[in-house]
Amino acid sequence: MEWNFAPVIANLDILLLGLLNTLKVTGLALSLGVPLGLGLALMRLSQNRPISMISEFIIEFFRTTPPLVQLFWFFFAFPILFNINMTPYLAAVVTFSIQSSAFFAEIFRSGIQSIDHGQWEGSKAIGMTRNQSLRRVILPQAVKRMIPAFMERSIELLKTTTLVSTIAYTDLMYQANSVAQSTFRPLEVYSVIAAIYFILIFGFSQLSIVVEHRLAKSGEGTVN
Amino acid sequence: MDHNWDFATIFTNWRVYWVGLQATLLMFGVTVTLGMLGGLLIGILRYIKHPAAAWPARAFVEVFRNTPVLVQIIWFYYAFPILTGVETSPFLAAVLGISLNTMAFSAEIYRAGIQSIDKGQWEAGKAIGMSFTQTLRRIILPVALKRVLPALTNRGIEVFKMSTLASIVAYNETLSQAKLIAELNYNPIESYTAVAIIFFVVLYPVVQGTYALERVLNRSDR
Repeated sequence: MEWNFAPVIANLDILLLGLLNTLKVTGLALSLGVPLGLGLALMRLSQNRPISMISEFIIEFFRTTPPLVQLFWFFFAFPILFNINMTPYLAAVVTFSIQSSAFFAEIFRSGIQSIDHGQWEGSKAIGMTRNQSLRRVILPQAVKRMIPAFMERSIELLKTTTLVSTIAYTDLMYQANSVAQSTFRPLEVYSVIAAIYFILIFGFSQLSIVVEHRLAKSGEGTVN
Repeated sequence: MDHNWDFATIFTNWRVYWVGLQATLLMFGVTVTLGMLGGLLIGILRYIKHPAAAWPARAFVEVFRNTPVLVQIIWFYYAFPILTGVETSPFLAAVLGISLNTMAFSAEIYRAGIQSIDKGQWEAGKAIGMSFTQTLRRIILPVALKRVLPALTNRGIEVFKMSTLASIVAYNETLSQAKLIAELNYNPIESYTAVAIIFFVVLYPVVQGTYALERVLNRSDR
């Protein structure tokens, strides 16, 4: 058994394009998933029972079904059902936005619920509406507490995006499959992309640990 | 949305799903057992900070926590046989990837649980003449395990969902079986909807159970 990294280095541009696409899908799913998650969390905390139940069902459904099943559903079933064209890219963004929004919703909810009830009463006492107190008083404090959980979820999302390779979106995993097949060097190719993912994700994890320590020092609790 | 839902083919092919569900449960059973037991061992090694164990245990945990499971499964399926000469079946590759990943995650859960126990407990165990392993087994672990039970059940739920990744190396679990049905009957809508429902029906009660468990543990005196 001899290691030979030359074929990997020769195809580095293909792999880097894949890495770029991985980051693109992650970033887009994150920027759609977070606002969607906030919306779901507010619905779930709503006083209106049917609205809260609908949101609870959506959240639980997307948390209890495997992301790969969701991806297949949005790629193979959804386009026929609604008679639209679905690209692998679009299916990936839709699936991961909704899937991560269900998890973000629970983070938002526990963040909002962790704020002392007196804060709501205080803002009500000075004449704020529910929306105003949420926006001006509750959320700014809650968001700070949510940051560690939020970062952990984003890292999970980055790892989950490898699934898009199964519907032929050219992310890092997919590019690795094609390079491994064309060069007959699966050992080196898969080891290199494992290392790329490791460096990326380990970097983000360390960053989130630093942030968490900073927040702990500034005297704020965190929620999971 | 003028699709006519037709679940008839799903019901006539229920055996295909049943085979898949059994394979999913087998995969889950093996990976969750290996992952949780192996994780306990590594978690203890991480805790005792023995020079010979600390570095390898830390490296193991960081590598398997910070790479995607799919990459691990694919690596064990295509790269591992070249490196070692040992052929890995789809089942073995998926078991290796998912169990090692679960070990790394559960190791950190166990470690956090053991660390949360007051130092005085260790000293008390030592004072009445117990060895390290005796104190760990009789005093520390029973309390620590109770504290981390919710975190462990959450991990278990993740492991159950992860089993679908075995379909990528063509192991015949529920999702691969659904794919087969979809291709044979041209009914991807019903076939993939059925898988989603199967997972929801299996996991929803479990998730509700963990909520109840958390409430009970919070109420009891930790």
